[in-house]
Amino acid sequence: MRIRQHPILEFEKGPLIEFEHDGRKLTGHEGESIAAALHAAGVRVLRHSIRLDRPRGFFCAIGRCSSCLMTVDGVPNVMTCVTPLKAGMRIETQTGKGIIPDVRFTHPPADPDYPRDLGNVPLAIVGAGPAGLSAAIAAGRLGVECVVIDENAVPGGQLIKQTHMFFGSKEHHARVRGIDIGEILLKEIEDLPVSVITGTTVLGLYADRVLALLRNDRFHRLTSDSIILATGASENMLAFPNSDLPGVYGAGAVQTLMNVDGVAPGKRVLMIGAGNIGLIVSYQLLQAGVEVAAVVEGLPEIGGYHVHAAKVVRAGVPILTSHTILRALGTEHVEGAVISQIDPQWCPIEGTEVELDVDTICLAVGLTPNCELGSQLGCEEAFVAELGGRVSIHGAGLATTVEGVYIAGDASGIEEASTAMLEGRLAGLSAAGRLLPDLDRNELARLKKEASEGLRTLRAGPFGEHARAGKRKMLELAGVRGGDS
Amino acid sequence: MMKSRAECVIIGGGVVGTAIAYYLAKGGMTDCVLVEADYLSSGATGRCGGGIRQQWSTEANTRLAIESVREFSSLEDELGADIEFLQGGYLILAYTDEDVAQFEKNVALQQGLGLDVSILTPDEITERVVPQLNTDGVRMATYCPSDASANPFLTTTAYANAARRLGVEIELFTPVTRVLTEHGKVTGVETSKGTISTPLVVNVAGSHSVPIAATAGVNLPITPYRRQILVTEPLERFFHPMIISFSLGIYFRQVRHGSVIGGFGDPDEPAGFNQTSSLEFLTTMSSKLAFLMPRLRSVKIVRQWGGMYDLTPDAQPILGETDGVEGFFQASGFSGHGFMIAPKVAMLVAQVVAGQKPDLDISRLNARRFAEGPVTTDRSVV
Repeated sequence: MRIRQHPILEFEKGPLIEFEHDGRKLTGHEGESIAAALHAAGVRVLRHSIRLDRPRGFFCAIGRCSSCLMTVDGVPNVMTCVTPLKAGMRIETQTGKGIIPDVRFTHPPADPDYPRDLGNVPLAIVGAGPAGLSAAIAAGRLGVECVVIDENAVPGGQLIKQTHMFFGSKEHHARVRGIDIGEILLKEIEDLPVSVITGTTVLGLYADRVLALLRNDRFHRLTSDSIILATGASENMLAFPNSDLPGVYGAGAVQTLMNVDGVAPGKRVLMIGAGNIGLIVSYQLLQAGVEVAAVVEGLPEIGGYHVHAAKVVRAGVPILTSHTILRALGTEHVEGAVISQIDPQWCPIEGTEVELDVDTICLAVGLTPNCELGSQLGCEEAFVAELGGRVSIHGAGLATTVEGVYIAGDASGIEEASTAMLEGRLAGLSAAGRLLPDLDRNELARLKKEASEGLRTLRAGPFGEHARAGKRKMLELAGVRGGDS
Repeated sequence: MMKSRAECVIIGGGVVGTAIAYYLAKGGMTDCVLVEADYLSSGATGRCGGGIRQQWSTEANTRLAIESVREFSSLEDELGADIEFLQGGYLILAYTDEDVAQFEKNVALQQGLGLDVSILTPDEITERVVPQLNTDGVRMATYCPSDASANPFLTTTAYANAARRLGVEIELFTPVTRVLTEHGKVTGVETSKGTISTPLVVNVAGSHSVPIAATAGVNLPITPYRRQILVTEPLERFFHPMIISFSLGIYFRQVRHGSVIGGFGDPDEPAGFNQTSSLEFLTTMSSKLAFLMPRLRSVKIVRQWGGMYDLTPDAQPILGETDGVEGFFQASGFSGHGFMIAPKVAMLVAQVVAGQKPDLDISRLNARRFAEGPVTTDRSVV
């Protein structure tokens, strides 16, 4: 189900190529993810689970959750949501654990631009989303040489799927669509001493700020004087019967599928969660020509901005507050959903069950910061509910408890792209301050103050309450354990 | 509330500590408290490879190991829990003249003790045991099909739960600050949660046994050394034995979940309390694994971690009573092979603590051996 017409997006696809799926010839576009190509061809079941042989589709679509593992060219457990499609690929539905490859492993040819030892870089930034790119711009402008590493084929992080316009003031890119903000940031780094390495996963961080990288099935080593962790977040799951069926997708995955790959996730979607992401993605689904049966929200009130809610309601989609999903229906993939009202204790009210005819259930029930790399380096962590979970402890200047390591964006606590960009800038400035002892301290202080004040403005008001409380707790922890800058 | 008085306090919630608690309670001493500084199997137990080997180079060690496998094989029934026990064998690869000479001696000794061990040629290895193994440079191997493996977490939890059912209390996240003594006798244990008065203390805290013993004026000749290990993504089972080589310093096996787990000992590793992971280990271990089993080359590594060997001068554990401090018992210094002998050793130590005569003499493993002159080591240590 490819999206043929879209009011905002034009999909630039690679050439049409043939590949094999369970012995059947299919076509797809070269370079799109295997999972997207299969979805476009109507294939939703990608594998069967190890213990209970349950069907599995993809869930996160950004290489985090392992729900989409398939056997590709004889190699098992390949993450098909992030693996680009190539002509002639042999893709098989994987049942259970996967068999040890019977193929002779061949390294892809070495790339002279990427030797095994990539040497040392003053500032390594993990993640080329809004936070990481902004950090590179801030540090690069002060003359710090940076390398930004991202595992996706295209830089921009989640911005590349945001078709909506941003709020805030002009300096925070208000009234610009997320997809265009990504372009603006990338344009800005062009003249700076910044290089972006995409398609490269940071496998691990080791003592003395050594990074282990995987690029094109080849291993590389990079050392750094300073690191900024802008690793973003992962989609939350919700537990309900059949929540593992193909067709239950994370909101980010739905965005990737329709706004990046140009593939409709289904014909009729039930959205769970009326926060900003749930509302925005519902509207984007409508734009892509997909029906939205309802938006279900557990809280008694809509969580997101009313501007977003109004657009959805105007299109005739009901937003059902104090409701929850009881179960998904179907055996091989989603064929329906049962929702019900809940009482103030969040218990379903008997007799209020309604069965909805949907083929897709989209979960927009929050995000969890990606804190693994900080953990590996020994950054002290704390669980702060307002920030979305475990977060590396950081001070006002975004320094963690490990010397020379900073954090920014959703990885430091779940907020949005606008705050991520300012946090990135602030972290970039802090790192530059540490790396360049001759920097004009007054000028640096002025720049940092500007970014901090921008953050304060964005976090003002009732919608910033969580972030304010979370960051306040973080500052208290940083005060006790160090990590301020 | 933690008990303020107990018949016996066990320090350490690894496999040996929980097993000692279980065997003490089973023997009638149910008024025991086990204190653990962190969570169950958070130390060396939970970080080990889970192998259970009977192929040793000395008679005493081989006998102890055979007894341990016997205990392990009935443990699931006894404790009422699945511990993923599997008799998949151990395949030990010989690469050098020295290996070959030693292995021939070992096999003669082991066969004399009734062990089902034999020597395999490189062709026999790939034809009969592990078809995927690269035997380049392999001179021969010893193979013992009754050697085994089990899941260290499940084993420890099974012992802990069985001990609890018999009345043992287990206090987690409770570090010991001091072992209390008066006139050369144990009187209690001081912990972060308060003091427990007791006449009997068993120190089973791995590398941490050293600072704990020091609080009672006891010096244990144990040095901590980091060892690292990694695990791959799960695959359908394609080989059964633990594969090891002393000259490569490597060991690896496939666990029931399907992951291949393995590590090697870096001979240049400095002594010290260190459980961090290094990039050098990741790259070297990957190369070694890919050399020994080329088909693992396209298999992804999902995790690596570090743990500590509590190494003694002869790589043998320190077991039993402590000269000069009545009521203070030691069970540590397992030097990287504590898990595999845990059931039998714990049973014997429990007998000693309870004042009974152990069914195997363990006096040769008392700490006083180091004061009596030079010690000889077992050559079969990875």
